[in-house]
Amino acid sequence: MKPVGIIANPASGKDIRRLVAYGSVFDNNEKVNIVRRVVLGLDAMGVKDIFFMPDYFGIGVRAMEDLNVAVKAHFLEMKIENAPDDSARAAGILSQLGAACIVTLGGDGTNRVVAKTCGATPLLPISTGTNNVFPTMVEGTLAGMAAGVTALNSSPRPEFIRQVPRLVLRHGTEIVDIALIDVVVSKPGFIASRAIWDIATLQEIFLCRAEPGSIGFSSVGGHMSHLSSADGKGLHIIIGPGPYEVKAPIAPGLIREVPVKSFRLFSPGEAIPLSHTPAMIALDGERERIEGKKNRVIIEIEVEGPWVVDIPRTLRYAAEQRLFLNPKQLRR
Amino acid sequence: MQLSKRKLLEMYKKMVTIREFEQSLSEAVAGGTLPGFVHLGIGQEAVHVGVAYALRPTDWVSSTHRDHGMLIARGADIKRMRAEIFGKVTGYCKGKGGSMHLAVYDKGAPGCNGILGPSQTINNGIALALKKRGQGDIAVVLFGDGAAHRGEFHEALNLASCWKLPALAICVNNQYAISVCVDDACAIEDIAARSTGYGIPGLVVDGNDVMAVYEAITETAKSIREGKGPALLELKTRRFKGHFEGDPQSYKTPEEVAEEMQNDPIPTFAKQLLEREITTEKVLKTIVDDVKKELQAAIEFAEQSDYPPLEEIYTDLFYEERRAV
Amino acid sequence: MREITYAEAIREALRHEMTLDDNVFVFGEDVGAFGGCFGVTAGLYDKFGPERVMDTPISEAAIMGAALGAALMGLRPVPEIMFVDFTTVCFDYLTNQAPKVRYMCGGQVAKLPLVVRTTTGGWIRAAGQHSQSLEGWFTQVPGLKVVMPATPHDAKGLLTASLRDNNPVLYIEHKVLYQMPGPVPTEEYLIPLGQAEVKKEGADVTLISYSLMLNKTLKAAEQLAGEGINAEVVDLRTLSPLDHDTLARSVQKTHKAVVIQEAVEMGGVAAQVVKSLVDSSFDYLDAPIKTVAAGNTVIPFSPPLEDAMLPSVEKIIAAVKAIVS
Repeated sequence: MKPVGIIANPASGKDIRRLVAYGSVFDNNEKVNIVRRVVLGLDAMGVKDIFFMPDYFGIGVRAMEDLNVAVKAHFLEMKIENAPDDSARAAGILSQLGAACIVTLGGDGTNRVVAKTCGATPLLPISTGTNNVFPTMVEGTLAGMAAGVTALNSSPRPEFIRQVPRLVLRHGTEIVDIALIDVVVSKPGFIASRAIWDIATLQEIFLCRAEPGSIGFSSVGGHMSHLSSADGKGLHIIIGPGPYEVKAPIAPGLIREVPVKSFRLFSPGEAIPLSHTPAMIALDGERERIEGKKNRVIIEIEVEGPWVVDIPRTLRYAAEQRLFLNPKQLRR
Repeated sequence: MQLSKRKLLEMYKKMVTIREFEQSLSEAVAGGTLPGFVHLGIGQEAVHVGVAYALRPTDWVSSTHRDHGMLIARGADIKRMRAEIFGKVTGYCKGKGGSMHLAVYDKGAPGCNGILGPSQTINNGIALALKKRGQGDIAVVLFGDGAAHRGEFHEALNLASCWKLPALAICVNNQYAISVCVDDACAIEDIAARSTGYGIPGLVVDGNDVMAVYEAITETAKSIREGKGPALLELKTRRFKGHFEGDPQSYKTPEEVAEEMQNDPIPTFAKQLLEREITTEKVLKTIVDDVKKELQAAIEFAEQSDYPPLEEIYTDLFYEERRAV
Repeated sequence: MREITYAEAIREALRHEMTLDDNVFVFGEDVGAFGGCFGVTAGLYDKFGPERVMDTPISEAAIMGAALGAALMGLRPVPEIMFVDFTTVCFDYLTNQAPKVRYMCGGQVAKLPLVVRTTTGGWIRAAGQHSQSLEGWFTQVPGLKVVMPATPHDAKGLLTASLRDNNPVLYIEHKVLYQMPGPVPTEEYLIPLGQAEVKKEGADVTLISYSLMLNKTLKAAEQLAGEGINAEVVDLRTLSPLDHDTLARSVQKTHKAVVIQEAVEMGGVAAQVVKSLVDSSFDYLDAPIKTVAAGNTVIPFSPPLEDAMLPSVEKIIAAVKAIVS
């Protein structure tokens, strides 16, 4: 029985899209409840150890309070800086500890950071952020049970985990950052409130998935050329006056007409330079970096991105293996 | 949010002016020449300048004892501010208010209230008047993490929300209320989360990044001007000096103090400006030199000004006994 | 002359002022459609609407803060605090805030037209926390005027004058007087603040009082006249500032004085009147100055206890007879 890791990002109410759009507040108390349900699911599967990333709100601590379970909770020994880097460091430690999977509570931003350091450890992302293309809307108990199933075997089975692509940002040959869904390039400005809601300064968008059923900039691609995470290709869109205008839900409650000059699919191995520098780069919905004139910035798609637990397939596998049929057997 | 290069450099100059002004008060305290108490806002310049530049001159901004910088950012004359802090008749309040009651009404700044809490309820009255004027102006009030626990916080936001007043409440959370850390005084992590109790939007903002502050205030103000009702913003920042100048900050470890000062909003902004090639090191240095000259003039002005005549003890109490400045 | 009640007189003054100036507005708990808990604002909501007659939540601090902020901006708010006993929960605004703002900003604020209406007094069996007379506390606040009308005629004239005074005024009505009728001119008239009135001329003793007790004092004077004692009755009308001249003139004529207040003895206005007379007229006094006040205790609920604890006509007569043979 392998251990399972939980990274719950307590950052709440910091997203300016709550103000300029109609983004919701995801209450930290609600996250505690979700984690409780995850823990109960893990416990039911006989998982012995859970490793929590510590956080200032104490999501893990509060979740475990008064919970009558056999599973033991451990808190990673790490300094909390209340910065995105906390999640990256936690993921690295969990990967080293040999966690069967890492359950994450957060949006695209949280998962992007975790994906940088989790290595081959699969992620089980539960949606609680504002932009939620990467994580899934899944009930916590089922997520916990699915995570427990991944912990039962000594190595992950292809039946229930799959590798999804990622976009990489290079300076020359060095990878400087990654994105799990989109890289949005705008005219230079300030990182400031991080979120993007003003389309007037957009220049180009790179996507590694484009589904019309998503909120965020990947929906711009989704209405022109459906691209699933299994297709292994990227979509490059140049923004500007042109033949198309896409009516896209770029943020919760914010639907904008985005002018598209051109778009094309691109494959792994194609190194695409930014059309203009200097530029402001947003990764997975958040302004992240400035690229100066002298930087030679390349975007590529890699099919070997993070591993993700496919929950319905995991539970179907468990059913096929009759894992839930004789619960008494699991407790050995 | 496209600010011109000129505006950005003006903002930088304002931040430097605030820093130098506050530093000079610190030196006066050390030299024993400053009467009473000052509460320096060193480290909070991004809050002052970000807020001021996001607002209209016709908006109103009430602030705290730590906000000399807010008045400076709104355009107050540092000569008259220094004169007031030293109790001279040429000060904005004829020397009768001092640092703790410094106000500049013709810049829409009722200034500092010596009691924590009332500024939040008084702001509602200002907002009510602005609403009746119908020009889309808003009433902003800054208060600290400590004042967020006074009853007025609750009464003010509830009333503002019920009456849909154009009020913007900004909690400047610098983590400490004198010596008590907000972790020990506040039941929750983010004071902005209390906004849900009043049915109004709440947002946490990085108070050390002047552009993040500018952007958040601009967007929030836009929403309030459109009649959507009040909002609560929380700007997280740090004060580098003690509660009052002279407070050795025994409640912070030296490591914590060193860490705080890593997030200095002025070099952060300078770096952003240089990275984007908006300006050069040379220009920034010229700005600092100009500020130092202007500050020296203010220091001399205050020194050479007189104290108020003794008759001023009894004037301005009633309308019929006003005396022109 | 036509007779109207004390409450109607107050309402008439308010309605007149609200008609003359759109900036005048009334707000408080239940003042709107309900007409106020004592019915004083009845009908104003129907005439002026919800923008000028506003109901508020139970938030005295928010009410007073909004009033002060509005007055700073040139509006003329008339907030109502239902019972003077509740001024305790917004005490800051009547002490640290409104009375000091003009002074502390050195006169940057000129007009501060803020009239706070509230009700005082016992005899309604509402016990310890709804029956008090607290005017004494407020007379010790420089910058605040305290007005207490005793008759419908004075209520209208004093309220109009208060509303036009451009200073913070605490206008205290007596609950028991609301239904008392009296002659009131239909036209507008002002009674100057800070001016006492001789309500009845006499030569044997000066009886000084205000509010409900002034009416009991007049009754006592009537009874005393039947016994050959001709009392002069002075109504203070404004408690702060005191009209020292009228008091001196009367006592220098009669050589004896009794001061009557409903409030608890200790710390009340009567003591201040005694001081005024000692300062101005010590050499004219033929007897010690007597005071009649409530006992130094909490107002009890039980009716016979309340009646015995508060001052009465009998106690006034007894005090007079102690110094007038």
